[in-house]
Amino acid sequence: MELQQVLSRLESTGIALFAVSYDPVATLKAFAGKHDIAYSLLSDEGSHVIRRLGLINERVQEDHAVYGIKPDPRHTNLPYPGVFVLDESGVIVRKRFHESYRERDGGVTLLAQTMGIEDEAPGPVTRAPGDPARVVAWLSSPAYSFFQRLQLNIEIQLAPGLRVHTPPAPSGIVPVTVRVSEIPGVEVGPIEWAPVRAGFLRGSLPLTFAAAPGGGDLTLRVTVAYQARSESACLPPSSDEIDLFIKEIAMVDRTLPPRPPV
Amino acid sequence: MALPPRNFSSIGPREGTRFPEVVLPDQHGTVVDLHAARRGRRALVVFYRSADW
Repeated sequence: MELQQVLSRLESTGIALFAVSYDPVATLKAFAGKHDIAYSLLSDEGSHVIRRLGLINERVQEDHAVYGIKPDPRHTNLPYPGVFVLDESGVIVRKRFHESYRERDGGVTLLAQTMGIEDEAPGPVTRAPGDPARVVAWLSSPAYSFFQRLQLNIEIQLAPGLRVHTPPAPSGIVPVTVRVSEIPGVEVGPIEWAPVRAGFLRGSLPLTFAAAPGGGDLTLRVTVAYQARSESACLPPSSDEIDLFIKEIAMVDRTLPPRPPV
Repeated sequence: MALPPRNFSSIGPREGTRFPEVVLPDQHGTVVDLHAARRGRRALVVFYRSADW
């Protein structure tokens, strides 16, 4: 389970973790044993808490009809997948919910985004050489699984006194653009740039791996175009290419089992 | 084929409110009072579809 990957980090930051599903205790016990899970898996059999909190995904059957999935009794009383972030007094400081389990944030991504924990580049980092500006790109996870969403992070590091412009750039300046090579089944979302800070510009965009399982390991080619300038002069426009390798995680625990005979 | 977007900020308890009292058994069958088990720590409460499938 991907959450396990970030548990040690959670403990070191003094954050408690609870994962709630409608599974009976016996199912959770087996799952926890198999995956060596130390945090609390809470059993909301019958989905009473999920219902009381207003988290039931009433449209899941409708979604499945749209996506051509046959009705299944296990698809009733499912929660929307998501996370609440509580502060020390138990107040909800942030929540993130998703359309359905078909788009799940990777654990690392979820944590980084919800807790504001700076990501220490858990995925492969590659630099495009450059002076006085250079580009760094990394993924929020070194691996993907079916319908997982990861973040592609881009950072342009600048020598003192230099800056770059995100669109819209002033006339005559090439704005920063990020292009990801087209790979069938990989959906590239819009990039969001953090506020410009001295010395670097950082942005990230979501990548959803929507192809059928078995897509295999991939190499994403990321092209970052930009033009650095100082108060008095413009450097020539640059276009740097970075290749990021990402492994596929086999879907051992995520395939839908055959429906029981009627 | 995509469904129309929904407003996910409206799902569940609102930000800025106290997370509801939740008491559920864990994987060991031990009854857990979520707020008590936090012991004053910050917490993530994750909802997911199933450990089984």
